[in-house]
Amino acid sequence: MSDPYLDDAPEGRFQLRFLRQLGPFVRPYWRGFAACLALLFVSFVLEMLGPWLLRHAIDGPMSGGPEGERLGTLAWYGLGFLGTTAGGALLGYVYGLLTAWNGQRVIRDVRRHLFGHLLDLGLSFHEKNPAGKLTTRITSDVENLNELIATGVLQSVFDLLKIGGVVIVLFFLDVELALFTVATTPVVVLLSVLFRRNAQRAYRAVRTRLALQNAYATELIGGVRTTRAFGREAAVAQRYAERNRDTATAWRDTVFHFSVFFSLVDLSLRATTVGLLWFGGSAVIEGTMLPGQFVQFWIYFGLLSGPVRELGEKYNVLQAAFASCERVFQLLDEPRFPPPNPQAVRTARRGAAKVEFDGVGFHYVAGTPVLENVTFTALPGQTIAIVGPTGAGKTTVLSLIARLRDVSSGSVRFDGTDVRELDPYSLRSRIAFVAQDVFLFTGTVLDNVRLFDRKIDEARVWKALETVGAAAFVRQLPQGLSTQVEERGGTFSQGERQLLAFARALVVEPDLLVLDEATASIDSESEARLQYALEASLRGRTALVVAHRLSTVRRADRILVLEKGRIVEAGTHRELMERQGVYAGMVGHVEAGA
Amino acid sequence: MLFSLSWSRSIARAFGRPAALLRRHTGTVVIGTLFIPVHAAVSLWMPRLLGDTLDRLKAGGASDALRHTCWLLLALAVVESASRYVSRKTLIDASRHVEEHLKNDLIAHLQRLPIAWYDRSRTGDVVSRLTQDVELVRFVMGPLLLHGGSTLCLLPAGMWLMMSMDVPVTLASLGVFAVLFVAMRAMLPRLHTWSKKSQEAIAEISQRAQEDFAGIRVVQQFGASRRERAAMATKNRRYLLVNLRLVRLRSILHATSHSTSGVVMLGVLFVGGNQVIAGAITIGQLFQFTGYLALLTFPLEILGWTLATLPRAYAAGIRIAEIFEVAPETTAGAAPPLRGHLRVEKLTFTYPGASRPALENVSFELDPGRTLGLVGPVGSGKSTLLALLMRFYDPPRGTVFVDGHDVLDLAPHSLRQLFALASQEPFLFSDTVAANVGFARDANHADALDAAVVAAALDQDLPQLDEGLSTIVGERGVTLSGGQKQRVALARALLSERPGLLLDDTMSAVDPITERRILSGLGQERRGRTMLIASHRLSVMTAADLILVLENGHVRERGDHRTLLAARGLYASAFRRQSEAAALESRSQEGP
Repeated sequence: MSDPYLDDAPEGRFQLRFLRQLGPFVRPYWRGFAACLALLFVSFVLEMLGPWLLRHAIDGPMSGGPEGERLGTLAWYGLGFLGTTAGGALLGYVYGLLTAWNGQRVIRDVRRHLFGHLLDLGLSFHEKNPAGKLTTRITSDVENLNELIATGVLQSVFDLLKIGGVVIVLFFLDVELALFTVATTPVVVLLSVLFRRNAQRAYRAVRTRLALQNAYATELIGGVRTTRAFGREAAVAQRYAERNRDTATAWRDTVFHFSVFFSLVDLSLRATTVGLLWFGGSAVIEGTMLPGQFVQFWIYFGLLSGPVRELGEKYNVLQAAFASCERVFQLLDEPRFPPPNPQAVRTARRGAAKVEFDGVGFHYVAGTPVLENVTFTALPGQTIAIVGPTGAGKTTVLSLIARLRDVSSGSVRFDGTDVRELDPYSLRSRIAFVAQDVFLFTGTVLDNVRLFDRKIDEARVWKALETVGAAAFVRQLPQGLSTQVEERGGTFSQGERQLLAFARALVVEPDLLVLDEATASIDSESEARLQYALEASLRGRTALVVAHRLSTVRRADRILVLEKGRIVEAGTHRELMERQGVYAGMVGHVEAGA
Repeated sequence: MLFSLSWSRSIARAFGRPAALLRRHTGTVVIGTLFIPVHAAVSLWMPRLLGDTLDRLKAGGASDALRHTCWLLLALAVVESASRYVSRKTLIDASRHVEEHLKNDLIAHLQRLPIAWYDRSRTGDVVSRLTQDVELVRFVMGPLLLHGGSTLCLLPAGMWLMMSMDVPVTLASLGVFAVLFVAMRAMLPRLHTWSKKSQEAIAEISQRAQEDFAGIRVVQQFGASRRERAAMATKNRRYLLVNLRLVRLRSILHATSHSTSGVVMLGVLFVGGNQVIAGAITIGQLFQFTGYLALLTFPLEILGWTLATLPRAYAAGIRIAEIFEVAPETTAGAAPPLRGHLRVEKLTFTYPGASRPALENVSFELDPGRTLGLVGPVGSGKSTLLALLMRFYDPPRGTVFVDGHDVLDLAPHSLRQLFALASQEPFLFSDTVAANVGFARDANHADALDAAVVAAALDQDLPQLDEGLSTIVGERGVTLSGGQKQRVALARALLSERPGLLLDDTMSAVDPITERRILSGLGQERRGRTMLIASHRLSVMTAADLILVLENGHVRERGDHRTLLAARGLYASAFRRQSEAAALESRSQEGP
C-alpha cells in the first residue's frame, strides 16, 4: 500500500495455487490445449525432418550415384523438403489460431468473472481500492494472463522438451560432436541468463522511471493552472528534466547491457560453431563423417540456439504474468458482500414497504461505534426525517437498509424480514436512492435515468421525468433523451443532476425511497424545482430522508435526531418543538439566524 | 521543383529540431556510423569462408588449413561483435540524448503556453505527443541510422556477391522475397486497422469498468450489477472477436513469411543442387549462397519496417512541431509592486470560441485589504472573474485595473505574485503533503509550513495519514477526500505568502464548522490583505465588505450581507434556506 509503484513491479513467482485457481477457467477448453500440444509435437518432428532430408540430398544425389537417377532423386528430396516447410507453415498457422482461440476465451472468462466479482464486493472494499486500480486489474492484468495461458507455459515446456529432443538426436548423429555441444551449451546458456538478468534489471529501472516521468508529465499538463498561478514553470520544468535524466541514464544502461548481451552471446555462439567446425571438419577429413551428416548436425545445432536464447526472454514474460496472476487472484479471494446465501428469500414488490431498525449498532473498528442502539420503525407510506451533525451516522443508517453494509448488532427488517435473509438483488430492486452527489455515467440521458435497464422503455422514463418536473429541461436538450452525458456529467448544473437523480429513483417505482437531501443552492429557480420533485417523490411511498430543509422536516411523519450514532430525540415536529430539546434548539437557531 | 521545395520544408519542420539536437553529438554519430560497414564486411566474409572450408573438406582437405580457418573465423567473430557493439552503443545513445533534450524542451515550452490553449487540448493527446511521438522521432535519430546504415551496406554488397555466383538463382530468390514484401505491405494496413479496433474495444471495457467502480454505490444501490455484468459481457465478446480476427491476420502473415523463406530455400537447393550435380558450382558455394540469403533476410525485414515506420515518424514529428509552433503566453509588461486595489469597469468577457459571454457588464471597486464575496450558481461567472484577475485569459482593454494599471499592461507574473489562488477542485501532485503545501516556494521553513497547515485546519487530518506530512497523495498515493484536498490547496495558497487571496469555492467540501474556523482565523491573520471569496455557502459571506450575486454572468444583487438580507432578494432567500440546513446539522451544544 505504501509503495505507489506496486503495479510496476513485474516480478512474480510461480505459485502452485495458480494452477488450482486457473483450473476452472482452463478446463472447459482442455481439448483445445491438448490439440495445441499435439501440434507442437508434430511441428517439432517436421522441423527435425528438414535437415535430415538435406543431409541425404547432399550425401546422396549431390555427391554421386547413377547419372540418370540423380536428378529424379533430388526432386523427391526437394518435394519432401517442400512438404516439411509447407506443413510447418500450416501447422504454425493453425497453432497460432488455436492458442489465441484458447487464450482469448480463457481471459474473457476470467475478465467476466473478475468484473462480476468486483461488482459484488462490499462498499468497504471499494472505499479502500480506487476505481483506477481495479480497472487496471480488469484490463492489463487479465491481459497479461494471456501470455501465461495462451503461449507462455505451453511454449516454455515445449522449448525445454525441444532442447532435450535436439540433444538426444545429436547424440544419435555423432557422439563426439554431441558431447562437445552438451559441454559448451551450458556456457552459452549461463552467459545468456546472466546478461539477460542484468539487462532485464536495467530495463525494469527504465520502466519504473519512465512511468514516473510520464506520470509527472501528465500531472504537469493537468495541473498547468496551479503551476501558472504560483509562477512555478521553471521549477517544475527543472524537476521534469531531473526525472528525464534518470530515465535517459537508465536507457543508456540498457543499451549497454543489450549491446554487450547480444555481442557476447552471439560471440559465444560463434565460438561454439567454430569449435563444431573444427571437430566436425576433422571428422570429415578423417572420413568418420559424411559432409551431409555434418551439415545436418550443423543445422540441428542452429535449432538449439533459438530456444536457448528465448528461454530467458520467456521467463521474464512469465514473471510479469505471474505477478498479474497473483493480483487477479487476490481480488478473486476477497469475500463477496453480501455473502452468497442459498436460503435467501426473494421479496416481491407490494407497494409501500415497512422498515424497522431494532437495536442497531454498527462499527468499522471494534470499540469505536458509528451507530449504537438505533431503533425506529417506518410504517408503509411514512416519511422519516433524520437530522444531526456531520459524522453522526446519518449516511450509515441509509446504507444499512439496502445492505450496502451489515449491522454489527441488532437487526434491520424490511417488511418484517431481516434484510440478511433476503436476496440482496430483490431487496435492492424495491429501494431507490437519491444521493447528494449525483453520479452520472457516460451515455445518454435515457440510459442514465433508467441505468442502462433496457426493460424500461422511453415512455416510462418520460413519465418519471414528468413526475419530478424534469421533462421540460430534458426536452430543451439538443437531442432530448438521447443527449450524451459528458464525462462525469459536466454538461449539467447541480440542480439538473439532482432532478435526473429523482427521475432515476422514481422510474423503478420503488417501495422505499432513501434520500440524502442536497444542501440548498443559491439558484432559487432550481430550488423550487427540487422542492417540487421531492414532494412528488415522497407521495404514497415510505421514505427515509437525511433532511437539510426545514420544510422537509416539518412534513415528515417522524423526525430522528441523531448525535454520535445515537437517537437523542424522536417524534413529530410538533412533539419535538414542545419538548424544547435539541431539535427545538436547532429550529430556534434557524429563526434566530434568518 | 516547387513540390520538392515544400517537401523538404515539411521534412525540416518534422525533423529539424531533433536533427539539430543530434548534431550536438556529431563525433559519436560519425564513429558509430564508421563501424557499420566494418560489421557488414565481416558478416559477408564469413559465409564465403565456411563455403570454401566445406568444399575443401569434401575434397579431403588438410587439417592445417582447417585450423587456420577456425582461428580466422574466431577473429572475425570478435571483430563482428565488437563493431556491432560500438555502432549500436554510440548511435542508440545519441538518440536517447536527442529524446531527453527534446522532451525537456517540449515540457519547458508547454509550461509557457496560454491557458486558453490548454482549454482546447486534451491532456491525453498532449501526453501522447510527449511520449509516443517523441519515441517515434527518436527512431529516426538512432535505430534508423543503425539499421538503415547496415541495410544500405549489406543489401547491395550481398546482392552483388550473390549475383557474381549465380544471376538467375539470385534474381529468382529476390523475386520471391519481393512478392512477400509486397504482400506484407498490402496486409499491414489491415493489421493496423484491426489492432486499432482492438485497442478501442479494450478502451471501452476500461472506461465502463472505471465508471462502474467509481459509481459502485449507484450500481449496488439500484441492484444494477447483473445488468452491468451483461453489458460488460457484450463488450468483452466484441473484444474477443476483434482479437481473434487480429490473430488470424498475424498468423497468415507469419505463415506466409515462413513458407516464403522455405520456398526460396527450396528453390536455391533444387536449382543449386542441379548445378552441383552438373558440376557448375560446388556444395560449398551452395552453402555460401544460402548463408548470404540468410544474412539478407534481416535487412529486408528492416527495410519493410522502416518503410512502415517512417510515415508515422514523420506525422509524429509534425505533431511535435505543432506544439512548438504555438506562441507562448506573453511575459511582457510592467511589474511594479502591487498593493491590490481592484477596479473592474463594464467588464464583458467571452471565452474564445464561446457563443455567449461568461461575464457581462460587471463593475466593482475594491480597496486593498477588503474582502469581496462572489455568490452565484455554477456557471454564473465567479471562476471566470478570478481567472481574469490571474490573467489566465486576457480581458478586453480598459476593463480590469489593478492599482490603476490595466492588467493588460502588467506582466502576468506580477499579478500572480499578487494573488494566490485556491480552487474548488484543486490539483495535487503525486508527492508528499508537505511538498504539495510548499509547492509555491523553493525552500520552506518548517515553522511557516506548520503555520499554513494549522491555518488551513489540515492539522486535524494528519493523524489519519500514515506518515503525516510525508504521506504521498494524488494519483499514485493516498486518495484524499475532497475536503482534505481543498485544505491542502488552501495551505498551499497561504504558504505562498501572496498579498491577495482568491478562494474559488475552495471549501465546498469542507464541513461548515471547520470552514467557519478557518475563515475566522484567516480574517485575523490576514487583516489588511485583499481577499476574493467565491462560494455557494453564504454563511462565509457575512464578513465580506462587498458581495456580488452573479447569475448567468450578470450582477443581480450587490451590497454587504446586511443590505442584501434587507433587500429580501435572491441572496436573502438562499441564505435562509442554507441556515436551515446548517441548523439541522448543528450539534446540540451549539444551540442557543
